[in-house]
Amino acid sequence: MTSYIIRRLLLMVPTLLGMTFMLFAVVRFAPGLREAGQANVAQGMMQSKQAQKQEQMLVAQRLHLVDKNGHPISLPMQYLLWLKSTCEGHLGTSLEYPEPVLKLIEQRLPVTLTINLISMIVIYLVAVPGGLLAAVNRDRLFDRGYGLMSLALYSLPMIWVGSSLLGFFANPEFFNWFPAAGLHATNTQSMDFFQYIGDYFYHITMPIACSTYAGFAFLSKQVRGSILDNLGQDYIRTARAKGVKGSTVMLRHVFRNSLLTLITLTGMSLPGLLGGSVIVEQIFSIDGMGRLAYTATLARDLPVIQTVALIGSVLTLLSYLAVDICYAMADPRVSYA
Amino acid sequence: MPDALSSTVRMPENGPPPQTFWSRVRARVFRPWMVIFCASYIVLVCLIAVFVPFLATGKPYTCIVPAHHGVPMRRVYPLFRDLTSVSWVLLVVTGALAVQGSCVFFTRRLMPDLRRRRRRVWLAVVTVAAVIASGLIVALHHNRLDATNYRSLAAHEKITHAIFAPIPWGYAAMEPLSKNLINKLPSQRHWLGTDGEGRDVLSRLLWSTRVAMGIGFISQFIALAIGVVVGALTGYFSGMVDILLMRLVEIVESVPLFFLILTFVAIYGRHIFYIMVILGVTGWTGYARLLRGEFLHLRQLDYVTAAQASGLPLWRVLFRHILPNGVTPVLVSASFGLAGAVTIESSLSYLGVGVRPPTPSWGQMLNAAGNPATVFHWWQALGPGMMLFITVLAFNIVGESFRDTLDPRNVNAG
Repeated sequence: MTSYIIRRLLLMVPTLLGMTFMLFAVVRFAPGLREAGQANVAQGMMQSKQAQKQEQMLVAQRLHLVDKNGHPISLPMQYLLWLKSTCEGHLGTSLEYPEPVLKLIEQRLPVTLTINLISMIVIYLVAVPGGLLAAVNRDRLFDRGYGLMSLALYSLPMIWVGSSLLGFFANPEFFNWFPAAGLHATNTQSMDFFQYIGDYFYHITMPIACSTYAGFAFLSKQVRGSILDNLGQDYIRTARAKGVKGSTVMLRHVFRNSLLTLITLTGMSLPGLLGGSVIVEQIFSIDGMGRLAYTATLARDLPVIQTVALIGSVLTLLSYLAVDICYAMADPRVSYA
Repeated sequence: MPDALSSTVRMPENGPPPQTFWSRVRARVFRPWMVIFCASYIVLVCLIAVFVPFLATGKPYTCIVPAHHGVPMRRVYPLFRDLTSVSWVLLVVTGALAVQGSCVFFTRRLMPDLRRRRRRVWLAVVTVAAVIASGLIVALHHNRLDATNYRSLAAHEKITHAIFAPIPWGYAAMEPLSKNLINKLPSQRHWLGTDGEGRDVLSRLLWSTRVAMGIGFISQFIALAIGVVVGALTGYFSGMVDILLMRLVEIVESVPLFFLILTFVAIYGRHIFYIMVILGVTGWTGYARLLRGEFLHLRQLDYVTAAQASGLPLWRVLFRHILPNGVTPVLVSASFGLAGAVTIESSLSYLGVGVRPPTPSWGQMLNAAGNPATVFHWWQALGPGMMLFITVLAFNIVGESFRDTLDPRNVNAG
């Protein structure tokens, strides 16, 4: 087990290096990077030529294009320097906001993670029982109907659902039931704890609805498949033959074995939730990671984009690692010698 | 459904024996009416994408310019004269595909003895001709910008005998401000209403199929090409190649897809061809993984050893002998990939980082339906939303049906 974890960690090293190199290279070779540096300079129009040149040099130094004496740095060295400063936590300053990138992300990451966690819980609460019931009623009306319904929901474009929800249910012209934007009312200061939580859930109802409906299809189909696989196994017949109750067979024997699939799927779905949040956050004006990435995209705020992608992918890799370890612990049959 | 497949295979006593794997798959996949419906819908959307210049445009197919200022009366063809090179290339490609399809169909039916090789030569000739024609079009054809308002000319009888398209509005044609036809509900003049700039929603809806289908098909083609090569190499040579290339797969997979796409779009711009390439370059990992699994299994089979032993070059073993046997699940997942690409394209356009206006796209139209919190023009959102939904659903249903058929759990041996 320990050796498995160590090997798994060792395999992660080249992936991490490669991923950071990709993000570094994408930004390093971005057309217009030098112009961005010059635009920064242009902000100080009144400066003397000397000061401008100095500023340009500073920008180039900050991007690790030249060293202290103004000599150009080779590409691998640039990457290593960038990696070093990244590991030390110097992720640069946003070009758009007058704040370090890390601080921006510190404010926004919890927002996104909370919403995604809640929507994930909702997805599991619907999809797992749904998949279970579909497997039990295999090829009957429920199975067919549920399969088609969840596929149709999966195919519904989020942008349409989101803008229609907003247009119909947060609109004085039609139904003004839900707030159109944000996560909190303006008077959060005067609320007690329960009011605060209630207000929060009132605000996230539509975003959660928008980010969950598509997730049912994939998960319940996988759950259904894995339960059907297990139902055909010999030990299920044995359990039935020795007179174990039907519900016990389902929950204790079948479902527990299907949990392995669930663990894998949970890990695989984490990055998807983080990425999908761009659209939801933009539609419902929630200041999370997705919206940060989006506004940075529009403003070509490269340090922010780079860091958001970096943090997203580190989280993804960590979740894959957690999945593999959970899997190894949950399944005693699999040996990773 | 253990019997579902075998029931279609069960033939009358004296009938022809059950044929190939593919004939069984075809029978099983295309049985439900819904799948037939979805497949026809996809074909229809593709046809609309190709022929939309003839469906929704302000230019007449033909009209007669009466004699004026000493110029004699003459007949002109504004629509054909102003077709863009993209339209011409699409027409050429569609024509070539139609010729090839009918050629295969008729020779199979009418001349079953025709040698395969001969047919292949014929197909290759048509392909090469289409490629050369497309190249010539791209190189030599100049797109004309003709802003003449033929409708008003016809109304004032400056031109006569004009034959207009069924939807006589181009995607960028705006109603003049004086007519006050901005953000209007559906009417006889504009069947699906007008948008915020007085443009016909239906026309824009149909023109958007080009962007959606173009980005969908081409990006997935690129993704398949990369995924097939990487998957084949990793599956065939395990060991160091496998470890290294799988790290590459992991690297691309590790960045959340939408962030990665946003990063690329932010840096390299939002031209439609860039978006195709970006979606292709970021979307190949699933195909590579799938094909790797297939190759890991297939390379152990005897016929592969036989192919190696007979001294065939590596690429031939990989792509002519192993690939055809392992490519099916990849092609099936390409159906889902297409649906995903269409969704991502529309999301990018919705966020304002997709194709540039005035080129219409469903996501952009959804965005233009209004800032929903204050004003929401539902008729502008309904059309593109429905089109997106049905297109994505159609691809998903076809893919799902194929996958269920090919799933070994559903196939009885025999």
